[in-house]
Amino acid sequence: MPSCSPSSTLERARPLLGTTVAIRVEADDATAGHCAIDAAFAAVAHVHALMSFHEAHSDLSRIHRALPGTRVGVDPQTAEVLRSALAFSAWSGGVFDITIAGQLVAQGLLPHPAHAAMPVADACWRDIQLDDANGVVLQRPLWMDLGGIAKGYAVDRAIACLQAHGIRNACVNAGGDLRLLGPGPHRIAIDTGSEPRVTQPVLEIDEAAVATSSGRTFGDTGQSAHVHGRTRAGVGAQTCVSVVAPTCMHADALTKIVLAAGADSVALLQRLDATAYLHDASDTWSVLGAAA
Amino acid sequence: MQSRLLLIPVAALVAAAPVRATVYLSVEQAQALMFPGATLTPAFVTLTPEQMKAIEKDSDVNVLSPQLKVWKSSTGGWFIADQVVGKHDFIPFALALDEHGAVKDVEILEYRETYGDQVRNAAWRAQFTGKAHGAPLKVGDDIKNISGATLSSRHITDGVKRLLSTYALVLAQQHA
Repeated sequence: MPSCSPSSTLERARPLLGTTVAIRVEADDATAGHCAIDAAFAAVAHVHALMSFHEAHSDLSRIHRALPGTRVGVDPQTAEVLRSALAFSAWSGGVFDITIAGQLVAQGLLPHPAHAAMPVADACWRDIQLDDANGVVLQRPLWMDLGGIAKGYAVDRAIACLQAHGIRNACVNAGGDLRLLGPGPHRIAIDTGSEPRVTQPVLEIDEAAVATSSGRTFGDTGQSAHVHGRTRAGVGAQTCVSVVAPTCMHADALTKIVLAAGADSVALLQRLDATAYLHDASDTWSVLGAAA
Repeated sequence: MQSRLLLIPVAALVAAAPVRATVYLSVEQAQALMFPGATLTPAFVTLTPEQMKAIEKDSDVNVLSPQLKVWKSSTGGWFIADQVVGKHDFIPFALALDEHGAVKDVEILEYRETYGDQVRNAAWRAQFTGKAHGAPLKVGDDIKNISGATLSSRHITDGVKRLLSTYALVLAQQHA
């Protein structure tokens, strides 16, 4: 075991969720700290196994393979994320919609799922039914991608796991979507994906989560990884959005809504005690929501 | 939820500190975590050009080096220390395989790309003077985290794929 002095900082990283997940904890005892980190990574890997679009045995893939109208029982965690995703769809009037996976497959951003019926072109979140016993029924063939919300959820699960292990100060960062545990102020540099200009943006936050999304990542191909749920057009090609929220799942999902809906998302941001920081093509920042 | 955005002038930054790499674990620390209580015996391998070609054909991933740093565990299983080429730099990682050659765990040992492109920028080699808000800010000290659009871990996934082919075509054969 690595030797450490009292209250040392331990940090480790693993490839999970299609990105690099880094977990940093303050721990009095190195063995206990590593034990907490192991458990937190396991919690992230569990979310990945349940909700991956790529894994053939995930809950998501089982739903995709089922015939429309057939009930598929899913893990309570999958149900929790689906329930939140549908709530975000309802709150945003369909701007946030996990059934955009068909578009992402067509753009080559996701692989074609095996043994799944082709999605109906106008299928949407309203075609997903979730019952109280964690059963899912698709009314029509459709493909779901939880990439816009499950990463944040996995970060929240990891933080909960660290807390259960007695950790009081930590950071879980899943490729840029992160949540902090412990009193602030915490400073987080924002990588806007554009060339650094005259200033470097740094967010100062209390114990909270931050997620960042940008369509700029795929600027070379002219394709945005983010799709407007209603119009199904790419969004955010020139914009970068960071959202500060109490949970990483909310921060993660809200970045997509703000990218697509801009100022129309203010009411939802306020409702969820969240703040969005938008960086546009003219290097201008605007603030929406709770702290605006 | 309290938060505020600081725009720190890049012009006010002094280039002083070198590029900061995040060191997560040493090879020894990774071994102790991935094979607790086990004795690891070095079983280093130099791949032949034929073996390298066969691994590339099987994994569809380029083999960068013929040197394979592999240890055999007293509890069964293997520990391999290897590296992949990231966006700018090498990323060392450790792979633990069980006695059947299945992946137990992957740990990234060191990461020099935490700050993405910005680490190449003078701003990120520098110490933040932070005159705008009191105390000086240091990257990696006062600013430990970065939030940005998600970067893929494809290169590490490919590295693991290459090592699984290496196990099947070389290690499993030698120790069969």
